Amino acid sequence: MTRHMEPTPTVTSNGHGASALPGLNLDDFRLPQNFTELVGVRRMLTRVPVRRPDRQWFVRTHPEPAFHFTTAIIEVKEDREHYLVRPQAMEACMNELQPTILHATMSRAGVLFLWPTRLPNRDGKDNLWYASAREAAVFAERHWASVRASTDLGGYEVFQAIADIPDPEWPNITMPELLALAFKDKIIDAIDHPVLLRLQGAV
Amino acid sequence: MLAPAAFTTVWVVDFEFGGEPGGHPIPRCLVAKELRSGRELRVWESELLQMRHPPYGIGPDDLMVAFFASAELGCHLALGWPMPAHLLDVYVEFSALTNGRARPCGRGLLGALAYFDLPTMLAEEKEHWRTLALRGGPWTDEERAGLLDYCATDSQALELLLPKMAPMIDWPRALIRGCYMAAVARMERAGVPIDVELLTELRAGWEAIKHTLVARIDATYGVYEDGQTFKVSRFARWLQEHEIPWPRLPSGMLCLDSDTFHQMARCYPAVASLAELRHALSQLRLHELAVGADGRNRCLLSPFRARTGRNQPSSSQYIFGPSVWLRGLIRPSPGRALAYVDWSQQEFGIAAALSGDTTMQAAYSSGDPYLAFARQAGAVPIEATKLTHEATRERYKQCSLAVQYGMGAESLGERIDQPTAEARALLRTHRAVYRRFWAWSDAVLDYAHLHGRLFTAFGWPLFVGADARAPALRNYPMQGNGAELLRLACILATERGVEVVAPVHDALLIEADAKAIDDAVALTQAAMLEASRAVLSGFELRSEAKIVRYPDRYADPRGAVMWATVREALNELAREGTCDDTAQVPVTVPPTTCDDTAHPSLSSSISLVSLSSCSPDKRDPSFHISGELWS
Repeated sequence: MTRHMEPTPTVTSNGHGASALPGLNLDDFRLPQNFTELVGVRRMLTRVPVRRPDRQWFVRTHPEPAFHFTTAIIEVKEDREHYLVRPQAMEACMNELQPTILHATMSRAGVLFLWPTRLPNRDGKDNLWYASAREAAVFAERHWASVRASTDLGGYEVFQAIADIPDPEWPNITMPELLALAFKDKIIDAIDHPVLLRLQGAV
Repeated sequence: MLAPAAFTTVWVVDFEFGGEPGGHPIPRCLVAKELRSGRELRVWESELLQMRHPPYGIGPDDLMVAFFASAELGCHLALGWPMPAHLLDVYVEFSALTNGRARPCGRGLLGALAYFDLPTMLAEEKEHWRTLALRGGPWTDEERAGLLDYCATDSQALELLLPKMAPMIDWPRALIRGCYMAAVARMERAGVPIDVELLTELRAGWEAIKHTLVARIDATYGVYEDGQTFKVSRFARWLQEHEIPWPRLPSGMLCLDSDTFHQMARCYPAVASLAELRHALSQLRLHELAVGADGRNRCLLSPFRARTGRNQPSSSQYIFGPSVWLRGLIRPSPGRALAYVDWSQQEFGIAAALSGDTTMQAAYSSGDPYLAFARQAGAVPIEATKLTHEATRERYKQCSLAVQYGMGAESLGERIDQPTAEARALLRTHRAVYRRFWAWSDAVLDYAHLHGRLFTAFGWPLFVGADARAPALRNYPMQGNGAELLRLACILATERGVEVVAPVHDALLIEADAKAIDDAVALTQAAMLEASRAVLSGFELRSEAKIVRYPDRYADPRGAVMWATVREALNELAREGTCDDTAQVPVTVPPTTCDDTAHPSLSSSISLVSLSSCSPDKRDPSFHISGELWS
């Protein structure tokens, strides 16, 4: 705390002495108000949903290729859950497997999730729903976008936010870590996995 | 420097003084003790009046210590003495050390002594000597000796308190707070110029005026029965007819407390006159408005009284109390002018600056943060203006205010007259657009609970007790730093010779000769800008000034209808001759010229005046209710 001027009392025009304040550099006495750094609390990412963006959300997908993971997953529509399948279990569920790209995606409200977009089937069959979703995910790498299903169109419509919205602040996390959080208890790694048995009608 | 060991002398100082409500303090005696040498000075009023300078050190190497020092410094001003370079106010520091904590015996001197388990005199004994000091002379030898001894006990109490508190005091910032107490003394001495003639008429005719007010204002509402009884069922019907959603108690009954009326009047201007009327009928105590012999409103500004560190003067004694229409009584004298200089959207600006949210800062810097918020959310096009998108702007404004006040979706929905879902969506938008602000606000809450305290940029602390509510904690940096801004601006402005006559939340009311008011406004705005840079790490808050030159009077648009109605009622009373010409009430009379340098004993010249001043021809034309003088 240094004083930049000697605190000699001055006399103001009304004839009353003044305090030493005018001689002080107030910057030396200001306490930090950056509570985000001061607090000593870090937000932990503990859950990463796998889902399509809500039609009312505006979202951005991560622009780095490392955050687009191509894989094959199983979607259990009844439970609205997605499962990763290990190679040793793939043979047993070939008909259920969906070739998919998982995009690290963030909503305007800051929710980080994996957005699965379908790739063409093993036989190369594609459709407008799959293709328009993939195009929307690519568009959202550069723009805030809302993705809405349109039955008239037979695919997804993309609405770009025209407001000047800043880019999302991506957390310091790798794609493998995101996948581990998203699928921590949703990995099919054996042919007798309960989900597989259920899909095969064995349970 | 700026630590106690650095000072050559440390003087504890206590004055006893008298004075009328609204008047200047009149010093009776002084006891000062230098703590290092043990030298004690006892000075009686006759000797004080001979002194041109305090008998204790007030230079750069001296520290003056007092309890509620604005009173001691008020005596300095009354005696024409200069202010100390360094002051420690033990009252302020005790308030800081215990802010948010229980103070079992209050925050007065006795309360502070009790808090630290130090011996105290009895409250009754203290009251006896205070009453004697207020009474004034002539004094017996015994009374003089007794009063000096009593004064010495207060300085001894400070001598006991200081070593207990010193290790806990945040010294450099405590001394900055001390500078504010000097500014408070100057502002309390200046006082707000009041139209005493009109106040006298109001006081005399108030009972009759109240009936007229009900008749006039209720003509719009129809909620009073027999001109005097407020009927809830009629009010409920009026609300329904005007589609105004009104808060209700858990029982389902309408909330009818004054806070609810005050809040609702802010978002539904149609309610404002009824809110003012209800307050005027039930709570307004005109006789308590403290106006001195020189026609100026003065009362304790009660600095640091609120938890946020804001001033909290008596709502009935201070002209800037809850009755906004009454502020029409504020009027500069001939040749003089007032200026109300306030920060623009202060709390929004503070939030933007402290959180480091650049999107929010851009909104503030745009000049219209609410429209900018709507633009940033994509709710209005880039080229939107306040005129083209008034309704949307208003919704986003209310959303911003709701966030500041910690309001939930339901309350916001009521405020903007929209479904809760719409309000919830707006609040979500605020979180989405101002993500960095929200991360910071969450961190403020976490810090408060984790560390048990919050603090402002210049160290005003809040200790987090069990009763702490999340919205208040989130809002604390805005309110607490708003108070810091005001304090710094008051210090800088008053020390540069600006006559600040009242601090008002986020504004300064200043006074100057009419020819010099523009220069005074420029000095004040420069001080406010400097304060903003100091508190907000260089971020600049804008300010605006409204100038009122004689014969105009100060006006608050929120009280315009009520003021006009009161003026009409007064005129009618005068025409009908219903003012009781024989009645006489004690009022204070302004001297022919206002002389702030006059000896304080002038304040004892309280007179009785006849109410014949009700005669309409004595009123100046600016009183008539055309409304053009209202800003």
